[in-house]
Amino acid sequence: MNCKDVRELIPLYLYGELSFDQEELVEQHLAGCAECGAERARCEKLTSLLAQGEAGVSAELLARCRRDLAAAIEKERGRRGFGIALRAFWSRWVVSPPMWVRPAGALAMLALGFFGARLLPEDSPVLGPLARSSPPPVVGKVRLVDTTGSGEVRVQYDEIRPRELRGSFQDERIRRLLLAAASDPTDPGVRVESIDLLKERTADAEVRRALLDALRTDENAAVRLKALEALRPFAQDAETRKSLAQVLLTDKHAGVRIAAVELLANVREPDVAGVLQQLLHQEEDQYIRQRSLKALAEMKASYGTF
Amino acid sequence: MTEPGATLAIESGACASARLDACMDEAATIRAAQSGDPEAFERLVRCYDQQVLRLAMNLLRNADDARDIYQETFLRVYRNLGSFRFDCNFSTWLYRIATNLCLDQLRKRKVRRTEPATVDTEEGELNRLETVPEARPAGDPQRAVLNRELRSGIEQALNGLTPRERLVFELRHYQGMRLREIGEALGSSEEAAKNCLFRATQKMRQALGDFL
Repeated sequence: MNCKDVRELIPLYLYGELSFDQEELVEQHLAGCAECGAERARCEKLTSLLAQGEAGVSAELLARCRRDLAAAIEKERGRRGFGIALRAFWSRWVVSPPMWVRPAGALAMLALGFFGARLLPEDSPVLGPLARSSPPPVVGKVRLVDTTGSGEVRVQYDEIRPRELRGSFQDERIRRLLLAAASDPTDPGVRVESIDLLKERTADAEVRRALLDALRTDENAAVRLKALEALRPFAQDAETRKSLAQVLLTDKHAGVRIAAVELLANVREPDVAGVLQQLLHQEEDQYIRQRSLKALAEMKASYGTF
Repeated sequence: MTEPGATLAIESGACASARLDACMDEAATIRAAQSGDPEAFERLVRCYDQQVLRLAMNLLRNADDARDIYQETFLRVYRNLGSFRFDCNFSTWLYRIATNLCLDQLRKRKVRRTEPATVDTEEGELNRLETVPEARPAGDPQRAVLNRELRSGIEQALNGLTPRERLVFELRHYQGMRLREIGEALGSSEEAAKNCLFRATQKMRQALGDFL
């Protein structure tokens, strides 16, 4: 062990954090090297000087913290108590009511439905859609999504039999159908096409939510990639960032993770640095690792520790 | 009863743990708290809260932030105590919560790159460096100047560390935790914590070279 090695180990030696063998080697060296002995003395002085860097905690501060905590816990207990009472009521009277209550409950529900329907006006928001001549579609399955030459959106879907609806993006029924198609579990092709069309409408919060859902949960990598591409302009948005981080850490498809790291690497936020550092512990893809390291270096964040 | 204004002599983690062992069985207390005994929960808080507050204060150097960390840490403990399964020491679990909260706060600050030189307290505005006790507050004026310069140097050196380096340094140097415990509390390895401590001490040594 040379002087350079020993000097690097002196702080850990003073903290008692070296292995038995390392400690033995350092002590042997220190016994015969005056310069390293002086460095050890300097490090010991540093340790004693650092005692002055400790912030004081006043008794008042501790007492105040305890008071605040007691109040917060009390509030939490009240909230929890109400929740428990509500759950008990629900379980006792709704989930498994006594036998004698059940027939009465069924009759009450029947009567409520019967008289309620008669009391409501025909154009009420509840009955209105049933009374209208052209009801909004109840989607069984979306078969096809595309655009026509004139800029209309065409969606083919099943109700009882396949039907076709044409209209602009502004048409609420088209919008609803596209959102339904984006999560149609039966056909990934339809989901990709729908998301491709929805990406023009990302100003709509519901559309963004659907894209985030697809990115996080869709089983098809092409759909997830399409959703990720559509969310590109929102990489700075906290919720999008969170979803991208989740994808980066958990998605099984390297292509999706690459797309996610490319997006996140340009976001200079501390939570992103944390995600990239965490990623370095588990990621096996060399490109993704290199990209993360580069991004961390650009953020002046350290790496390789946690 | 502690005198008002007095600085608490706060125990290290090992010492508090020993105190807890001496006065009660920790596992039994945790189980009682899990079953809703408020006094048991309070006993747990009292056994560890000084360490948590000191950790937060040392790392954040701001009484308001330290209070927030203290409250959030123990509220999370309260909410999640039911899911604590004794897979690790209670103190490790608690430190994991507190250190994650501190780390988040430090990372936010690193992005802002500004830290107020003063803090608002109940008694008015206070210079952060003055929250640090002086070795010899009165007497030799030259010594007092030197102490101020030293504290300022330490403050700058600590600010030069990354949030994780600072956290590991704090846990090892001021809280007296072993690197193995630090690794566990941070969900990392002992080796990683050692590397971090090594980098931190190198930086501190370099920054405070003039005082050695």
